Amino acid sequence: MRLVLPITIRGSRVLAVLGVFVVLALIFVLGPFSTSDAGYDLPDKVDYNYHIRPILSNACYVCHGPDASTREADLRLDTREHAVARREEGGRAIVPGSASRSLLIQRITAEDPDERMPPAAVNKVLSPREVALLSRWIEQGAEYKKHWSLLPSVHAEVPPGPPEASAIDRFILARLDARGLTPAPPASKEALIRRASYVLTGLPPSPEVVQAFVEDDAPDAYEKQIDRLLASPRFGERWARHWMDLVRYAESKGHEFDFTIDGAWHYRDYLIRAFNADVPYDQVVTEHLAGDLLDAPRRHPEEGFNESAIGTAFFGMGEGKHSPVDVRIDEAERIDNIIDVTTKTFQAMTVACARCHDHKFDPIPTTDYYALYSIFESARFAPTPLLSAHTTAQLDSIKTLRAELRRRLGEGWSRQLEGTPVQTVFRKVGNQPPLSPPGQEGNVDRTSLAESLADTTIASRILGDFREGRFDGWFAHGPAFGERPVMGLPVVDRRRGRIDSLAAGVASSRRWSTGVPGALRSPTFIIEHDSIDVVAAGYKSVIRIIIDNFQLIRFPIHGGLDQEVESPDLTTYQFDVGMWKGRKAYIELLVGTYDKKQYITDNHLLVRNDSSYIEAAYAVAYTGEPPDLTTPARSPRDPTNAVLKQAVDAWAAGRADAGQVALLNDALRRGRLDASLDAVAPGLAHIEAVKERLRDMPYFVGMIDGDAVNSPVFERGNYKMLTGDPVPHRFLTALDPEGTPFTASASGRLDLARAITDPANPLTARVMVNRLWHHAFGRGLVETVDNFGAQGALPTHPTLLDYLALRFVEQGWSVKAMLREMVRSHTFRQSTQASVGADEVDPQNHLWHHYPVRRLEAEAIRDGILAVSGRLDTTMYGKPVPIHLTEFMKGRGRPAASGPLDGARRRSLYVAVRRNFLSPMMLAFDMPIPFSAFGKRNSSNVPAQSLTMLNDPFVAEQAAVWADTLVTMRHLDAEGKIEYIYRRALSRQPTDEETANALQFIRAEARRLELDPETALDDPRPWAVYCHVVLNLKEFIYLV
Amino acid sequence: MTRREMLALCRNGFGGVALMGLMGSMPFGQVLSQERPVADPNPLAPRVPHRVPQARSVIFLYMDGGVSQVDSFDPKPRLTREHGQNPYDKFAVDATQFDNIGTILKSPWDFKRYGESGIEVSDLFPHIGSCADDLAVIRSMVADFPEHTNANYFLHTGIGIQGRPSMGAWVNYGLGSENQDLPGYVVLDGGLIPPGGLDNFNSGFLPASYQGSIFRAGDLPLANIEPLEATSEIQRQKIALMNRTDERLLGRIGHADQVESAISNYELAFRMQASVPELTDLSGETEATKKLYGMDSDDPHTRGYAAQCLLARRLVERGVRFIELTCPRVEADRWDQHSNLIDGHERNAHAVDQPIAGLLKDLKARGLFEETLVIWAGEFGRTPFAQGTNGRDHNPSAFSIWLAGAGIRGGTVYGATDEYGYRAIENITTIHDLHATMLHLLGIEHERLTYRFSGRDIRLTDVGGTVIDAILV
Repeated sequence: MRLVLPITIRGSRVLAVLGVFVVLALIFVLGPFSTSDAGYDLPDKVDYNYHIRPILSNACYVCHGPDASTREADLRLDTREHAVARREEGGRAIVPGSASRSLLIQRITAEDPDERMPPAAVNKVLSPREVALLSRWIEQGAEYKKHWSLLPSVHAEVPPGPPEASAIDRFILARLDARGLTPAPPASKEALIRRASYVLTGLPPSPEVVQAFVEDDAPDAYEKQIDRLLASPRFGERWARHWMDLVRYAESKGHEFDFTIDGAWHYRDYLIRAFNADVPYDQVVTEHLAGDLLDAPRRHPEEGFNESAIGTAFFGMGEGKHSPVDVRIDEAERIDNIIDVTTKTFQAMTVACARCHDHKFDPIPTTDYYALYSIFESARFAPTPLLSAHTTAQLDSIKTLRAELRRRLGEGWSRQLEGTPVQTVFRKVGNQPPLSPPGQEGNVDRTSLAESLADTTIASRILGDFREGRFDGWFAHGPAFGERPVMGLPVVDRRRGRIDSLAAGVASSRRWSTGVPGALRSPTFIIEHDSIDVVAAGYKSVIRIIIDNFQLIRFPIHGGLDQEVESPDLTTYQFDVGMWKGRKAYIELLVGTYDKKQYITDNHLLVRNDSSYIEAAYAVAYTGEPPDLTTPARSPRDPTNAVLKQAVDAWAAGRADAGQVALLNDALRRGRLDASLDAVAPGLAHIEAVKERLRDMPYFVGMIDGDAVNSPVFERGNYKMLTGDPVPHRFLTALDPEGTPFTASASGRLDLARAITDPANPLTARVMVNRLWHHAFGRGLVETVDNFGAQGALPTHPTLLDYLALRFVEQGWSVKAMLREMVRSHTFRQSTQASVGADEVDPQNHLWHHYPVRRLEAEAIRDGILAVSGRLDTTMYGKPVPIHLTEFMKGRGRPAASGPLDGARRRSLYVAVRRNFLSPMMLAFDMPIPFSAFGKRNSSNVPAQSLTMLNDPFVAEQAAVWADTLVTMRHLDAEGKIEYIYRRALSRQPTDEETANALQFIRAEARRLELDPETALDDPRPWAVYCHVVLNLKEFIYLV
Repeated sequence: MTRREMLALCRNGFGGVALMGLMGSMPFGQVLSQERPVADPNPLAPRVPHRVPQARSVIFLYMDGGVSQVDSFDPKPRLTREHGQNPYDKFAVDATQFDNIGTILKSPWDFKRYGESGIEVSDLFPHIGSCADDLAVIRSMVADFPEHTNANYFLHTGIGIQGRPSMGAWVNYGLGSENQDLPGYVVLDGGLIPPGGLDNFNSGFLPASYQGSIFRAGDLPLANIEPLEATSEIQRQKIALMNRTDERLLGRIGHADQVESAISNYELAFRMQASVPELTDLSGETEATKKLYGMDSDDPHTRGYAAQCLLARRLVERGVRFIELTCPRVEADRWDQHSNLIDGHERNAHAVDQPIAGLLKDLKARGLFEETLVIWAGEFGRTPFAQGTNGRDHNPSAFSIWLAGAGIRGGTVYGATDEYGYRAIENITTIHDLHATMLHLLGIEHERLTYRFSGRDIRLTDVGGTVIDAILV
């Protein structure tokens, strides 16, 4: 008989097919746990989380776990209640206290292969040690525990240790001691400053810094360097890029044409500022999830714009599909991606696994998934202007001037009325805009929106009517629309300098000025009619019907869902929405239009100019003939001067109602009021002058709230098969078993942010300190940094992790304080060379007996090259540098022009991240493709890396420019130059042998170039070849 | 152990499982299900499959844009009879990409029966028709997506979104490569990169070692493959100095697997600089061979694609595991004829027909056919009714593909569509089934080829896939 058995030999997993006796013999001889009489070391007390759950999760849960849809034999082993229950056929899977009576043990040890679990078909084999662990655990009472990461962090005593050892070191030392190990000696000062510099800023230290540090004998020399690095602006750039891996940061939407994501880079800059300013982590989390909903948002210190709202831009970093045939599927994909990224990033939970079925390993039912789904389905993507304090002040001054103008005009009219007798002439009112004064119903069956949505039999339905001075439940966003529609906005005849009329009630983006950004969006409704009419006017602005949150409205299928408004008069814009019946939708009135050239990159950007505005009277849905929403023109009563005066006063105060506006219009037409603007001409000119000075208001695509939408569970992820009731907005039941519904915000995002940043949340702080540890040390205390679930790794140092998590919260969620503590530790400062024997005991270095050798990340390699060549441009922020396109980078959406080979010498995080045109160098060195959260990069080894360093023109070019600089350093002789090269690129002195080798190489190169031996070393060419070799040294791209 | 040695062993009566034991190496499923694969200095070292493989290499002829099934391998006389009639009177019509549904459109091409099998092939593909007895045509393919990009990702990676490993990456992850001087996954760029871009060929969450290398036609086939130095001697000198310094580093820091791997990686890169030009140099091929592929054609696109097909054979000879050919850029769009069906399909067909037939014949002549799996497929099919008047829109509900070579039962037609060729109705076959079958022929059980990502053991075949036994020998 042959068996496949996993054997652990010195920690590395090796499998062999051998006679079973040989296997057992090997275990006795070679196994690391050969101390106990069972042949493997079993803990005295078996712990469910650390010993049992990994076995059950890996070998049993697919058929006997949380997911009912694949459950076999009606048996669950993931809860004690089920596992110890009496089974219908008799017996119990687990009999606490008795392994021999437990069916589980009987089945996993059965001789008969048909009886034995797990079945051969699932390709999982339990090791003898695993069987022994399960047995002992059952003997000890089969105690179940919540998954470790869902239990609160526990305050642990810092273990005793030498006085100079930090808390971190003591936790590490305690574990090393227990295995008879000692930490490695301190790294050399050169290696240490290089390590700290790359880890904290992603750049090598300058030779001057290295020298100063080496020569600084002060006891706090290192601490001073750490503080300097933490305070460097380069710090934020480095850690922003780490974060960008998590949120699948990209500046284009990928898919067929790789459309640009508007203003994505504002989010990148936001991250850099946030890390540099050490904004508390809980604040950063809150801003990501609900930065738009904060009562007191953080403001940019100089510009004064709302920083917090920019956090929400991460939601929109996903793919964007060109012309999806089914927008609801498209929406489901987008939200799935948001759930995936959000839950991995902030909670290290893989909630997206629960889209089609209950999570197979973690306590995450599909209802949890659809609770989050509903939250993100309720939110809306919105172009969000960045309003600086200066711009806001300018807009405010326009508002004040406007109010002043009204007051002035009103005063003039009042004076006029005081001196005029009442006229008694009746006149027909001509082509007045449709008007529905307060209290007077149109001939449409007016019901409230909610009521009208409930009744599907009505042939038409008002979706919004602004003529009475109310937004009717619509949501205004940005400064343009103000807080209510405008009544009686003067329509100016510029040529004659007169008021043509006062506009009826409209929701208007030009209540203060044209060119002001903003949008007005309807409540969410279900499309039940064939047509939607929006009566609107405007210039270079757009009406959009957003169906199932689908934004990328374009030809061929969806082209009819937006219409540009290009008319100064209220005009009916009709939308044919028959094919979308049954879909949820909202209407968006947006200042600006989408520039939609076909098949050209950078298209589909929102553009707006000084004259852009949009205003609307009402929107109605109907089937068949459009309803007549105009009211019969009333001949105005002949108002007394007192009544007219009242109207004038109300108008001047901005409070006139529709009836009063009608009276004023009538009076203007009849000359009872002077239509001349002469009296206010200076004020008008002043407004124009302020407008002239309005700076461009850039924008990004953020999230805002609309109405709460609640979705039922999609069976197997298919929206056409809905099951059960809509799920309320709430948090994961594993963390809030009560399932308390979210009520603080319509979408629930603010509540979600609170649930995640609650210090009692057991995951948030642990996950973040583990990420920081991962980047500082090269591997997390929990190696699977994005997965703290049952399928993730267990923490190697659970008490240290808890200590750090609690301390992180105590220190106000300060990332810098936590990092400072980490990099000051001896554990960080130790050498990469383990003490003798340590590698034998702990070859994977799980216990941190040395600092690991690490390859630099793609960006650090490229930035390092630029730093070394002296060409790095440290300009911060701003629009991305276009990506350099090689002949190999082709396909639809290719940018029209290639960016510079050297990326304008900027740091890598400023180079455009276009999904379909990612940098080959970055990809070769394992930059992740931006589609999911990647807290941990691969560190692969591919020929493309060597070929890049050897043959890529960028690397060679930088070697050459470096050489150009070197030959100008006339104060250095050849040996001095070589020393300088080493100090610059490798942060250390060359050895004599290295210097000799270098000189020999450079001289040989000079001879080959047939240079005059006298002046050969003043020629940059041999130096360029040598510098290229140095950039190719492993020591340059590894931290050693 | 080489494949030949292994095959010899198999012939001597050893079962696959015993074989693994004798090899003393890790059974594959185990290694492959680690979240962090065991550090292997060479991720492309050949690995032992689950079962005795029939195919050593795969050539994937990607028909970008979606060839019309009713105009190629799935004749539908009813379309001729009902030409010009309203499809809504005939069957339920699904929403389409362009929402511009015209009338029933007959195929402009005649179909002929070829070979002993009598497989019907349209006049678009007379050369491929002449190989009919080697083909297993599947007429009942379905895709999950009606849009190019999703459908391309789905075809290439088994999931319709960006960022998953391509099938070529999976195959190399599973099997390693037999040629250590060339990448194990080569994409021969014929001119058109599919919608979705280079991520169709990427390694997703697998290590970058497995990503496809894009070879272009022309002097510089691979990025950064050309040494910058005037002579290889200069480069050798540079590498020598580099190695000397790197060795000192190792002496200083001691044991460091990854640094050692990085050093040996330069050796591979250095060898690739020689092996790639040698590979792409077709001057050693006979005129007869070149002619067989159509390199003497009047049509420059035929000539270009012929060179790519010939290169594919040379890659197979060198043990490269997975080769994909993308389509040439003809004077019409890819196979995506939303309009001008006749012109577009004829131009595309003319470019690829003879080279593909030449490839099949050449592989046979050289004894490579039996160990090479050739797959011809697009991402979806087209509608049997017109888009506008003279085009066809996307149709994920039915399309035809074919397989040939290793382990494939030639002269087979598998599955069927309805009378309009609109929907697959018999032996409905998914992309997962295609992937499962491909892996099966390579000796891999698709359910055991897994990689842990996001807490799940992810497969190329996701949660589906059944080997299509009926088309296998």
